Amino acid sequence: MSIYKHHYRAYTGRVTPIWTRIFALARYGLAEAWSTKITAVLFVICLIPPVGFLFTIYLSNNPSARLLMGTVGTRVLAIDGSFFLRVLTIQSWLAMALASCIAPRLITLDIVDNALPILLSHSISRFGYVLGKYAALFATLSTVTWVPCLLLFAYQGYASPVPWAASNLRIGVGMLAGALIWIALISLLGLALSSWVKWRGVATGVIFAVILVPAGVGAIVTGVLHTKWGLLLNVPVMMSYLWERLLDVHNRIDNALQLPTMAIVTMLALGCCLSMVMLNTRIRAREVVRG
Amino acid sequence: MHWKSSYIQGTSGQWETYVNSMGTVELDALEVRIGGRTILDRLSGVLRGQAIGLLGPNGAGKSTLINTLLGFHRASSGTARIFDLDTYRDRAEIRSGIGYMPENDSFIGNMSGVHFVRYMAELAGLPSTEALERAHEALFYVGLGEVRYRKVNSYSLGMKQLIKLAQALAHGPRLLILDEPTNGLDPIARQRMIHLIQEIRKEGSVRLLISSHLLRDIDETCDEVLILKSGRIAALCNIEEERRSNHSFMELETAGATDKFSVSVRGLGCECACFSGGRIKLVLPEHIEARDLYRIASEQKVQIRKMHVRRDSLEDIFLRAMDTEGERPAHVHL
Repeated sequence: MSIYKHHYRAYTGRVTPIWTRIFALARYGLAEAWSTKITAVLFVICLIPPVGFLFTIYLSNNPSARLLMGTVGTRVLAIDGSFFLRVLTIQSWLAMALASCIAPRLITLDIVDNALPILLSHSISRFGYVLGKYAALFATLSTVTWVPCLLLFAYQGYASPVPWAASNLRIGVGMLAGALIWIALISLLGLALSSWVKWRGVATGVIFAVILVPAGVGAIVTGVLHTKWGLLLNVPVMMSYLWERLLDVHNRIDNALQLPTMAIVTMLALGCCLSMVMLNTRIRAREVVRG
Repeated sequence: MHWKSSYIQGTSGQWETYVNSMGTVELDALEVRIGGRTILDRLSGVLRGQAIGLLGPNGAGKSTLINTLLGFHRASSGTARIFDLDTYRDRAEIRSGIGYMPENDSFIGNMSGVHFVRYMAELAGLPSTEALERAHEALFYVGLGEVRYRKVNSYSLGMKQLIKLAQALAHGPRLLILDEPTNGLDPIARQRMIHLIQEIRKEGSVRLLISSHLLRDIDETCDEVLILKSGRIAALCNIEEERRSNHSFMELETAGATDKFSVSVRGLGCECACFSGGRIKLVLPEHIEARDLYRIASEQKVQIRKMHVRRDSLEDIFLRAMDTEGERPAHVHL
């Protein structure tokens, strides 16, 4: 083809390896996700708490500031597992809000405009398609969860007058693991629910509802039947338990309501599996009419 | 397998020789069952044409065959091969060299035309810069150059058809699969689409597989046709050869000693039927030509006032294929 002559000509140039096409999907997915101001505003909001926590770490390692704050300062400015648990929890829930905004933009547009037959007619498998979208979401959510968490951890290690990082390595590893588990769950859930809902606004609501409504049901089950197993429907509580165990923080939990780690992991894995089944059913080049 | 993969991705110079010897699409007892129903029933044949037409009534299995060739459906038994690559096992390699224009609307409406075509070209394996360049070229080529920065969902139906063609062309495919390319187009837009397809065919580097309900579209663009009926092959033939082999139907309008003339013509080995008004219908054997008839007419002082040689149209071929009710030929020569 030529713009001036308007003739067709075959392409004879370089071709990229097939496995790299997933990155094209991820790149275009990211561009789509960031094409709206809502995403930018949410992203900025997500970065405000880390700035506050950074200032707290600075103050806690500043002798003059500690002296000025006296005994209150010792309690408020304690940089330990509980402090980083607070960081992780806040960042994770902000990431949830960001995911509920981005995930529908990544997948709903393709479904609504019936773009899948064209997209999947290229050298992209259905798994590759989901992986590309997942990578876009994962990358965005990483920038507001484990990346700032680990940067704060590194800054505390640097600013502390005594060797701190090596003796508290469990906190760093725990934050990384906890954030990755959370991102994996909400990314899959977000993509799966978005693939089933046509309207982006509704999809955002549905993502929140799927987290919060079972939590309410779980609380009712726990209250009425006096059993801790109702909490297995409560994702926020399950994640709190998991994060506390990962960061080795034990000071806030009522022992009677403790859930076994294996039960929590099983429930989260079930959620991921269900999301994958939903994606497998929905992400197809063609609808198969049975019967 | 590696060298075939490089062929399909357009990096080998031996491409044409290879395709001509092997055929574009090879079906070997291909059976596809979906939801317990047999949609394609033991299809066998080799499609070698530069432009292959896929004809058949609704529910004949055209779209299922295209989806199987794209690797969307797995063969229940038998095989389908494109450029000697298995359509399911080697679908990633095959898709790299295929441009697909689906029947229904299929695009990302929120993107501008050039952004969408570039995206598709990158997914097909073009590096980002080349993809952008080819996207611009493809859009100008199909006639959407002036509207390439508009969002796709603001395009008219005809423009949407054209952008589907542009994205299928942008990466320079070896095989272009067009599913109902003139669907919903007005006569002028249809003519433009047909002209584009003819031009692509003439360029020679792309094989075409065109599915359509419209016999005229296939007639104007294809040199080979595969006719499906109820999931079976009703006919597989080279349109040009069929036309050449059926040039023997002739209608004459004569004046003079018609009876004597018809007896002499029968003597040449022609089948002949006489009608009132000097009209004669003939089926000529291969070795008889029009000049033989003129010679006899001259000898017998018969005037030939009108001579009409009737060729088989694609419609005749299609209707005959549809008439083969009950037969199950795997490969029918008309």
